[in-house]
Parts: sequence; structure tokens; C-alpha cells
Amino acid sequence: MKTLRQRMVPYWLLGPGLVWLALFFVLPMYFMGELSLKTGSLADGYQLTWATQNYTDAISQYSTQFVRAFYYAGTATIICLLIGYPLAYAIAFKAGRWKNLMLFAVVAPFFTTYLIRTIAWKTILQDSSPVVGFLKFVHLIPQDGRVLATSGAVIAGLTYNFLPFMVLPLYASLERLDVRLLEASKDLYASTRTTFFKVTVPLTMPGIIAGILLTFIPAAGDYVNSTFLGGTSQAMIGNVIQSKYLVINDYPTAAALSFTLLVIILAALMLYIKFAGTEALMGEDEEPA
Amino acid sequence: MTTALKTRNIKLLLLASLALVASMALVACGGGGIDEASNNDDIGVAEGGNPTGNLNISNWPLYIDGKTISDFDKATGTKTKYTEDVNDNNEFFGKVQPLLSQGQAGGRSIVVVTDWMAKKMYDLGFIQQIDHDKLTTVFDNLIPSLQSPEFDPERTFSVPWQSGMTGLVVRTDLAPDVKSINDLFDPKYKGKVTMLSEMRDTVPLVMAADGVDPTTATTQDWLDAIDKLQGAVNDGQIRQFTGNNYVQDLAKGDVVATIGWSGDAVQAQADNKNIEYRQPAEGCSIWSDNMLIPVGAPNPEAAYEFMNYVYEPENQAQIEKYVNYVSPVKGTKEVLLKTDPELANNELIFPSEEFTANCFNQVSPPGDPAEVTKVEEAFQNVVTG
Repeated sequence: MKTLRQRMVPYWLLGPGLVWLALFFVLPMYFMGELSLKTGSLADGYQLTWATQNYTDAISQYSTQFVRAFYYAGTATIICLLIGYPLAYAIAFKAGRWKNLMLFAVVAPFFTTYLIRTIAWKTILQDSSPVVGFLKFVHLIPQDGRVLATSGAVIAGLTYNFLPFMVLPLYASLERLDVRLLEASKDLYASTRTTFFKVTVPLTMPGIIAGILLTFIPAAGDYVNSTFLGGTSQAMIGNVIQSKYLVINDYPTAAALSFTLLVIILAALMLYIKFAGTEALMGEDEEPA
Repeated sequence: MTTALKTRNIKLLLLASLALVASMALVACGGGGIDEASNNDDIGVAEGGNPTGNLNISNWPLYIDGKTISDFDKATGTKTKYTEDVNDNNEFFGKVQPLLSQGQAGGRSIVVVTDWMAKKMYDLGFIQQIDHDKLTTVFDNLIPSLQSPEFDPERTFSVPWQSGMTGLVVRTDLAPDVKSINDLFDPKYKGKVTMLSEMRDTVPLVMAADGVDPTTATTQDWLDAIDKLQGAVNDGQIRQFTGNNYVQDLAKGDVVATIGWSGDAVQAQADNKNIEYRQPAEGCSIWSDNMLIPVGAPNPEAAYEFMNYVYEPENQAQIEKYVNYVSPVKGTKEVLLKTDPELANNELIFPSEEFTANCFNQVSPPGDPAEVTKVEEAFQNVVTG
């Protein structure tokens, strides 16, 4: 029989987090939802008119930028996974005494601000750079082509900026992998390939899914990479929201677009969980005795 | 550690990270509490404060030398906090609008924004009028061409900080024959041209190049020029719409000709001899950034004192040596002729009347706010296409 005091402990521990969420998540969400249903202008004020056409207009007018945002974010996430998994695997199992240094190297770019890191890519990808010269040499881009101000540059920027969000959860789940299970698999005559796909990947699924979500969600709303690395036809939905909010001061449409983005991401997340299963997302749901 | 505990840890970590990412995204996008609109019917003349008290100024980056503020504090006893937090008219407006609509200035007694934004803020009731009796130095020394701009003909609420010209900035080695805005549409430079994402810089110049007088242009003229831009975007002619990062693109040679600002070109040319400002054949657009006293400013007296101080030619010369935009203060050129004749004879800093003969003052789209918004939306649809 637990005392009242003992039973209260979890609530005390949850308290600060809940207050934080209420103040900075629930409350802004409420204001944003309300704003998205208003009409009016900055000069005359906004009135709540339950203007659902804010949503229909926003979606029909900017569907291109929505699709583009998900295409860029999705591609960047896949590339991050393809680069991040081997990297996390190497750090977890092959790095030996270099492990901490390699982990540090993954996180090190965060010591520079996001903007500077992104703008640095303008130099890496500039038209006369060796990178672009090489891509021309191997005929990946035409002789008069360029990388900057194209979709490729934006995806490259997103991949670079969000890679650590993929690597760290992957590393966390790989590092906890019980190597005896891999040995057992080999004892049962499974090939290295089979062991990887039947044992390693399923056991690290929570890390993979965490990595995908942590990469895809912020990448879909990003506007910095497109601003600096994109050209005139690479605007993502984040750029539209920014321009609606800051340039045109059309706050209701900006709020409607933000809300739509949120709902689409949540819906995709639900589908994903349904498809992948909560166990894959959360790990096996067993309670300690 | 048991497996169950491990998975629970991952679960918690994941949930916490998701919540954090989601709330960051929301805080970044969220607005709210902006129902209160005000107007300038009850706006009076700014007064009060303490000339030796604290003075907070918000200005653009790289817009003052390192010494003027401390010299001013020494001369007057004021304690000035000078913040470079205006990077973009729209962005700054978005940042201060929620405060100003409540009649608060966030401690600022001077903010510096461009003509059209000054007018927009004044019309919203965010800016106080200025007392000409307390600004004798300013109005004795303000150059004639800036005394009655269209947006504020009597200078009732604004004092110019610096002026500049919007025109062509080119790489003389890579695009020697670009002389008109129309040359930016030459297929020879396909994908090597950028323009400014500030509509009021780019669109009037495009119009002027097609023979339309921007100062009398109709909404349809604006929309036609924006259509022309859309066509050039579709053809891949225009590489990007930029803020002032076009200078780096020019330096690298990724871009060979742009619409850009005169002061940027002076600074860029110091690093790269091949970068040059050119007055477009059809003229340039002249604008100013203006010192304004916002509503709720805690110290208008010190603000007046500062405005008078920077309008002393000696003090202005010190700023001008560093800034390289067009000075609004009479007599500055004479001071600099003695110490730095090269600077004093630079047409981009002290333009002659012949040099700016074709130029027009920066214009906004005509009509009521709804019509202006229509033009702004059309332009933004090109920029975020």
C-alpha cells in the first residue's frame, strides 16, 4: 500500500512539463485556431466570423507548395536514413575508442547557428565550385547546369541540417542492441544479410521511426534552406506562411496554412503509426513487474 | 537495465522530443492577441523624458560607425543603448506590431525604417509626431531634396537617417554591357540575374524600363510589371529574389547583374574592383530610412537630442566615413573634402543633380489598402512561386 505522498510523486514530476505544454503549446494553438477563422485587416482589426474559406482558399491556392514541402522533406528523410543508419551502426559497433569523438562530430555542427551552416552551403555549391565541376564531369548535371537555386540544393541543405536528428535516435537504439542476439542468429545459420534484416532492423525499429519523425516533421515546415539555397520555383509551404505573416500581414491565412500543415503532419503520423504499429513506434508495451 | 525499462526510456524520449518540436514549430508560426486596431486620430507630438536618461535606438546593421554613440553619450550625458535589430522592414514590423498596437514601444525611443514602412506605421497610429521647434539643427541642415517627400510632405513624423539609390549592381568583367533594367531580361544572362525581394525596389524599376512613370502608375501597371517578372521566372531568367545577400553571389560570379542598393555596391567594390553600381538608363529609385519616435517611447527628449547631434556636419561626417550611403545632412561633403576627398567626391555618397536626374522617389502601389494588398499578393506569388 503506497502512501498518498508516494502516489503524488508522478504528478509532481509531470508538473513542470505540463505547465510548459499548456503555456507554449495548448494556448498558442488555441490563439492560432481562433485567428485562422477570422476576417479583417491589420488596420481595421480582425473579427471572428468562422471564415472556413480561409482554409479552402489557402489549400487550393498553395497546394503546389504543400506538395513540394512534403516531397523535399520526404526525399531528405530517406537520404538521411540511408546515410545515417550505416553511420550510426559504425559508431555503435565499429568505432571502438573513437566512439565519443565520432558522436561529438555528429553534434558539432550545432555549435554554429543554423543560418550560418545553411549559408555555408552557398559556397560549397557555388557555380564554379569543385563539387559542381565534378558533377558536370560525371554528367550528373548538364554542362551549363548549376546546383544552387535548384531543388537539389534545397534537398541537400535539408539533409545536411537534419542528419543529426536521424543519427542520434538510431545510435541510441543500436547501442542498446544485445549483440548476443546477433550471435544467436549466426549460430542458427542465418547469413549476415538475413541477420541484419531479420534481427538488427526490427530491433532498432523504434530508433528508425523516431529518426524519421524527428527529421521529416521539422524539415516539412522549414523555410530557411529554400530561402537561401532555392531559386524562384523552390518555395516550400514554410516560405508561403512566412510571406503571408510578415510581408502581407494576412495573419488569418498564415494561421490557416500553419494549422493545415499541422493537421496534415498529424494525419500522416496517425496513418504511419497504424501502418507501422504502435509497438514499432513505442517499443514492446510491457510493464515492469 | 531491463528491456522494458529501455523501451520505456525510448518512448519517453520520443514523446518529449515530439512535443518539443511541435511546440517550437507552433511558437514560431503562432500569432494571437492582435484584435486591437488603432488609428492616428489621437496621435500627438512626442514630448517628455529626460535628456540625460536612457535612450534606446533600434537601427539596421552596419549603419553607424563604432564611435558616434559613445561620443554622443560623452557630450550629452545620455546613456544610449543602440541595437541593430532591424534586418527587414516587414520582419521588424511583425516583431514590434503586437507591442505597438498596445501603445508600447518596448523601451525604444527611436526606430529606423524605410519611407513606405514609416507611412504604414504612422497610419496605424504607431508613430508620434515630432516637434520641429526642438529639431532646429535637423531642419537647418536637412538637404532640400529630402525636405518634402511624398509620404510625409511636412516631415511631421520622420527624420531621414540615410538615403540610398536602387539601381543596377553588375560585374563589369562578366556583364559589361548591362546598362538598363531591360538588359537583365537578356537571354544571354539567363539564370545569372537576381532581383530584390522588396517589391517597392524591384517593380517600379521594371515599370520605368518599359516607359511607365512609376510615380503615376496604376494598379494595372503594377500588375503588368509583376506579370513580366513571372514570365522571366518561368523562363529561368531570374535566378532568385534576394535580400542583401546578392553581394556574395556577385562576388562569386554566380550572378552577374542584379537590382541592388548603392551603398552595398560601395562596400562590395572595396573588396572586389569588378563590382560596380550603375545608374540604369531609365533612372533609379531613391529612398530613405527614417528615424521615428514610436508611441509609448520613454524618452522623446533624448531622441530629439540624438537627432540634432547626428545632423551636425562634423558628427555626420564620422558616420558617413563608415556607412557609404547618401547623407541627408548639408555641409557633410565640405567637412569630408578636407579629410577624405575621395569619399567626398563619390557620386554614390554625394550624388550630383545630373547623376540622379532621371531618378524618382520610391513609390508604393496606389489605391486603398485592399488594392495595395492585391499587388503585394501578386508579387509574393512570384517570389514564393
